[in-house]
Amino acid sequence: MTALAEARVVRQPGTRSAIRDVAIVGVVLWIVVVAAFVRSRNREATAHALAHAQAAAQAIARGDAPIHATAAAAVVGPAVASQRHAFLSRRVARTSAGDRSLGGPGAPAADKLLYDAANRFEREGAFATNLADGTGRAVAAVATARGPAIAVTASAEPHPGLPWLALLGVAGLGLVVAAASTSIVGGRASGAGVAIGLATWAIPAAWWGGPILAIVVGATALGIGVAHHRGATTRVLTTVREHRIALGFLAPAGVAMLILVVVPFVVGLALGFYDHHHGRWTFVGLDNFRRILSGDGHALGDPLNFWFILGVTLAWTFINVLFHVTLGTVLALGLRQSWLKGKGAWRVLLIIPWAVPNYITALIWKGMFQGEYGAVNSILRGLGIDSVSWFSSWATAFSANVATNTWLGFPFMMVVALGALESIPRELEEAAEVDGASAWQRFREITLPHLRPALGPAVVLGSIWTFNMFNVIVLVSGGKPGGSTDILVTDAYRWAFERGEQYGMAAALGFIIFLLLLVWTLVGRAISGSAEEARP
Amino acid sequence: MTRPRLTLAGMLAATLVGSLAGCGSRTDAAVTLWHAYAGAERATLEALAADWNQAHPDQSLVVVAVPYDGFGDKITSAIPNGNGPDLFIYSQDRLGDWTAAGLLEPIEFWIDDATAARFAPDALSTMAYRGSLWGLPLAVKSLALFVRTDLVPDPPRTTDALFEMAPRLRARGVFPLAYPVDDLYAHAAWLHGYGGRVMDGDTPTIATAEGVAAASFARQLVAREVVPRDADGALTATLFSEGKAAMALSGPWFVADIALGVPYTVTTLPIVSATGQPAAPFLGAEGVLMSARARDKQAAIAVVLALTDDASATERATEAHQVVPNVAAYTGALAADPVLSAFRQQLEHTVPMPATPAMRAVWTPYKNALGQIVIGATSPADGLERAAGQVAGYARAERP
Repeated sequence: MTALAEARVVRQPGTRSAIRDVAIVGVVLWIVVVAAFVRSRNREATAHALAHAQAAAQAIARGDAPIHATAAAAVVGPAVASQRHAFLSRRVARTSAGDRSLGGPGAPAADKLLYDAANRFEREGAFATNLADGTGRAVAAVATARGPAIAVTASAEPHPGLPWLALLGVAGLGLVVAAASTSIVGGRASGAGVAIGLATWAIPAAWWGGPILAIVVGATALGIGVAHHRGATTRVLTTVREHRIALGFLAPAGVAMLILVVVPFVVGLALGFYDHHHGRWTFVGLDNFRRILSGDGHALGDPLNFWFILGVTLAWTFINVLFHVTLGTVLALGLRQSWLKGKGAWRVLLIIPWAVPNYITALIWKGMFQGEYGAVNSILRGLGIDSVSWFSSWATAFSANVATNTWLGFPFMMVVALGALESIPRELEEAAEVDGASAWQRFREITLPHLRPALGPAVVLGSIWTFNMFNVIVLVSGGKPGGSTDILVTDAYRWAFERGEQYGMAAALGFIIFLLLLVWTLVGRAISGSAEEARP
Repeated sequence: MTRPRLTLAGMLAATLVGSLAGCGSRTDAAVTLWHAYAGAERATLEALAADWNQAHPDQSLVVVAVPYDGFGDKITSAIPNGNGPDLFIYSQDRLGDWTAAGLLEPIEFWIDDATAARFAPDALSTMAYRGSLWGLPLAVKSLALFVRTDLVPDPPRTTDALFEMAPRLRARGVFPLAYPVDDLYAHAAWLHGYGGRVMDGDTPTIATAEGVAAASFARQLVAREVVPRDADGALTATLFSEGKAAMALSGPWFVADIALGVPYTVTTLPIVSATGQPAAPFLGAEGVLMSARARDKQAAIAVVLALTDDASATERATEAHQVVPNVAAYTGALAADPVLSAFRQQLEHTVPMPATPAMRAVWTPYKNALGQIVIGATSPADGLERAAGQVAGYARAERP
């Protein structure tokens, strides 16, 4: 964008700007040419080393001496396993000077290359490859009747791999095309030039980030081109110039948001289109989403089916928020009664569950629900009731989770309700009392309408927290029994870390969770917005 | 250019130069070793490194302590970028991933039978994967039987004897044994005693006759109140310390969890009466592994051999209380240490923890199944069948 901005600034006609444009194009072309040269030279050196290795291996296979210098060359015999351990095996190198055993403490480094190449030959057959140790050497293996003939070339010039320079050149050239389009040509061609110029960035994007990133970059380029055609970029650039000091102050926060919020979000979304197994990423399109939404082959009543987990999550959220709001409001009303002594102390006591870190609370509650020695069962036994095995059935395990989370969640709603109650004018209630309204009428007609605007956003917020309440589920029930008390966010965790690192599935599920919460937030805002309007 | 722009450009240039310099700063040590040890283990390792440097001034060894959190991921990303160590200390459980990604150097080339004979055979096997050896073990971890000598003067030698203890101890409100009964890591000891295995190469073998027999046995342990049904690691330690469990199935780390003053000893697991085979827990090991991008591999392997020799092992066992796999280390003072020598004996009956990545998808389905089986919510056969189906599903989703 800076090059674009520069191009806009110097748009006035004149030789100076023309020279400048030509200079920029020249520099970029120079970078491109250098990059192309380095790249082709690298390729050549690599190919030479490979060809030498191959020729040397073939020479040994024929029984000749290799033409080019080699670090090691021999026909290598089969692996003979040791008596004690099958994975400790020895091989013999058959050279013109006679047989010699490969390996053992202090064996030469070149022998190891022969030994490893023979192992690889047995797995993959004949091969020729460059060693990844930065020496520029190549190793080749070809089959013979006595075992693979293997040759390792002597050290070559270290060759730095420089594809990034070529890509940088492409991107720079694109920028120049885009900049030139804004300043030299006008009309439709200008917009098209910008789009084409920026679209070249899709090439490095495809190289580094895969097809999805390339498509995103291409689409963005097209969008900017269209916007430029409509004059939007000119307006934006003018605005940027006008407010550059303010923007400068905003930039650090903007960069932080970009790095901490936007980038992880985009990366997370992109991962949802990939499959991950054992360190390999494969582009699979919408397949992860299809697997999740179709239940991945599990029946609807199976705890591993997405819709079952969604049902549990919704029930979990609804029941919890209901308890939080009810309990919070009742306690807030109680704290407001004039006959209550020591209100400050009560308030502090009731906020404590909120102040204690929630994983500590969760672990304490888990201990209390323990079957043999837990506090809950001890109380039940004291009352003459049989002890309950809390995590053996869905209903009891779910109840244990809900009890824990209710304990954690009600203080927040109580504080919100207390604040809202403070704002109700006393005169209003006194007037209603004088007019003969009952306590219930006063609550329904005065207190509740005043509570609603404050509780609305709190309910939306609380429901999002509860929807993603990872700690309580994982620490209290741990998904027991059989994963049936898991919620979506804990299931996403299990996809990532307990089912063979299927990060793609976890990312896709994470995105679905995001969409669900986005819809819920919009709905919640609409509801609380209308409540706001309906306020007397 | 105006002044602010100049300043900005200067700052950008400084940042760029700084980051480039950061990339380029590599030590000129011959061998760099990363580890996540702390406390006594770290001090001992650093002392051994100092010994090495004194004896080999031309092949300097630099040990770098790296925080344990994210250590594995750091290895995964640093080695391919050329910023990784030459050697590092890690357990065997990511061998499968790292060898598939080409991060590790196979070392069997340098190891002959004489070197291999330093280690208990199973301990060395933990470092092998797909026909190659990827490191040498420093320390091993397996479960053993912790016994409260005040409650059980005579530890049971068979599982039948274990069941016989139940009525007498239960009358006093004591469970004979405590361990996380639904956890495959602990349950595997019984499974192996019944002749079962969790993995055959890279293929899970879950719903087998031996698996069903072992799961039925776990159910019996709970049904006959030999074992509490929902004890996790923390509760196991509490029950054992408070005398509510007479024995516990746990590893070397358990020593730190036992309350002071509790009279206890450690011994090997009992024989599974149904098969006559000893219960055999999983064996995990921490080893020195070599990066495929190590600069001086000759020097690196010399360091590996030195760190794992008998003298170093004795020092690590004495100073850092590591359960070392070196057979010759358990003479003299170490043989008298009841905890270390019990784990050494248990080493004779263990099964190396599978290094295949497929293993990581097994833990949770197996745990869910065991949890259901021991409370009688499902039959052992059905529960394991279901777990096997889930694990196969995760593997099937794998695209080549």
